[in-house]
Amino acid sequence: MFLAAITSKYGDGESSDPALVERFLRRDVSAFEELYDRHSRVVYALVVRILQQGATAEEVVQDVFLHLWRNAGQYQANRGPFVPWLLTLARNRALDHLRLKSERQRRREDQTEELPAIAQVPDYEKALDEKRRAERVRSLMGTLSAQQKKAIEMAYFEGLSHSEIAASLKEPLGTVKSWIRNGLLRLKEGLQTAS
Amino acid sequence: MSEHDQLRELIEAYALGALDANERAALEAHLAAGCPECAKALEEARWLVSQLAYLAPSAEPSDMLRARILRSVRADAAESAGGARITEAKSSRAIPFWLWAGVAALLLLSIYSTWDARKMQQEVADMHSRAAAELKERQQLEQDLTVAKHEAWILTDPNSKKIDIMPTDKAMPKLEAMWHPQLGIYVTAQKMPMPKNNKVLQLWLIPKAPGAKPMPSHVFWPDANGKIGEMVDNPPEVMAETKALAVTEEPPGGSPQPTSTPIWVGGVS
Repeated sequence: MFLAAITSKYGDGESSDPALVERFLRRDVSAFEELYDRHSRVVYALVVRILQQGATAEEVVQDVFLHLWRNAGQYQANRGPFVPWLLTLARNRALDHLRLKSERQRRREDQTEELPAIAQVPDYEKALDEKRRAERVRSLMGTLSAQQKKAIEMAYFEGLSHSEIAASLKEPLGTVKSWIRNGLLRLKEGLQTAS
Repeated sequence: MSEHDQLRELIEAYALGALDANERAALEAHLAAGCPECAKALEEARWLVSQLAYLAPSAEPSDMLRARILRSVRADAAESAGGARITEAKSSRAIPFWLWAGVAALLLLSIYSTWDARKMQQEVADMHSRAAAELKERQQLEQDLTVAKHEAWILTDPNSKKIDIMPTDKAMPKLEAMWHPQLGIYVTAQKMPMPKNNKVLQLWLIPKAPGAKPMPSHVFWPDANGKIGEMVDNPPEVMAETKALAVTEEPPGGSPQPTSTPIWVGGVS
């Protein structure tokens, strides 16, 4: 019910145009270009948040979108909306990148990477849908306790497990599990109500 | 509470990737057994978790990135289209039956040898791959050792000058820099807080020359324990031309000129 409510309202994860995804799946370059323009901001923001480094994030985002184009068949529209699938792919790629390299290796590489030009003014007109969505999720997260929010963010953006978070925050494992579960359920409830 | 109910409570954390190994294995076994309620709940939980991406602070990918990706995609598309045209052209030609029969016979004769050759090729490729990985690891270790020696030299050499980079806020810890005239600057600190809002720390070299702009230098951030140990390989050739070292908080990737007031400053000479 919940997923149905969400997907019926937001369809293809904000895209009110499933036909665009269908064209992309038929290897239409212009459809890919439009999908990139619609969703590259949130993908890039997510990867930057996970990797904390703009230059490396661009490499991972490039990898994500080229993987998307070259393996379009991996996405099956009947198994769920496109954007959440894309965000999951991007998160997994960024976390893999984070785990693959030791802190020291990353620091060395960062010194030699050329810094990319990063536009300072976001294109609000094009980003409007995702901006609204971000506001909604942030607002709901703002209703959680600071510990709940922290624990969920550590799991999502840093890829940490319950026990790793408990050790890092010096809190009992059961407490951390409750924070995360109750926090996610509250977020779910809020999204369901908002939808 | 039934086992199903206990496992059902793990679904959200599973979608988040937060379960520890034993719970993850138990839930995966339950899902593999075909529980429709948990499978449905997992679909919903995956969607829910994907929404956490919107918590990331807004950031704009560069136009260069867009250009690079689209160039690759267009090249791929052009290549595929070319390949499809060639296949179509070939398939449209009439091929005599006797030729098909000959090809089939050759294929039958060569199946075993092809399979055997491929197996050997795969083994050779695997060996090459393992050797390359080991070589890469060794090179990395050698590089790390060189860097560690470099850092140790700077810290112990009497020609190095110690610079205290003091915080403007007394509640913050100080940074220390050891500047060696030929080898560079090594910056250290303990108990440093992580910059907020995804910002990074950036070192600036403040020239003595009147009106000269701060020179952007190394971008860094503390590790999970608040420690900093950063090597700056390319400071100005003459230390005496630098009045001070300063550290500011900057957006990810650093800035060509400071966008905030220095939080730490230390006089050089």
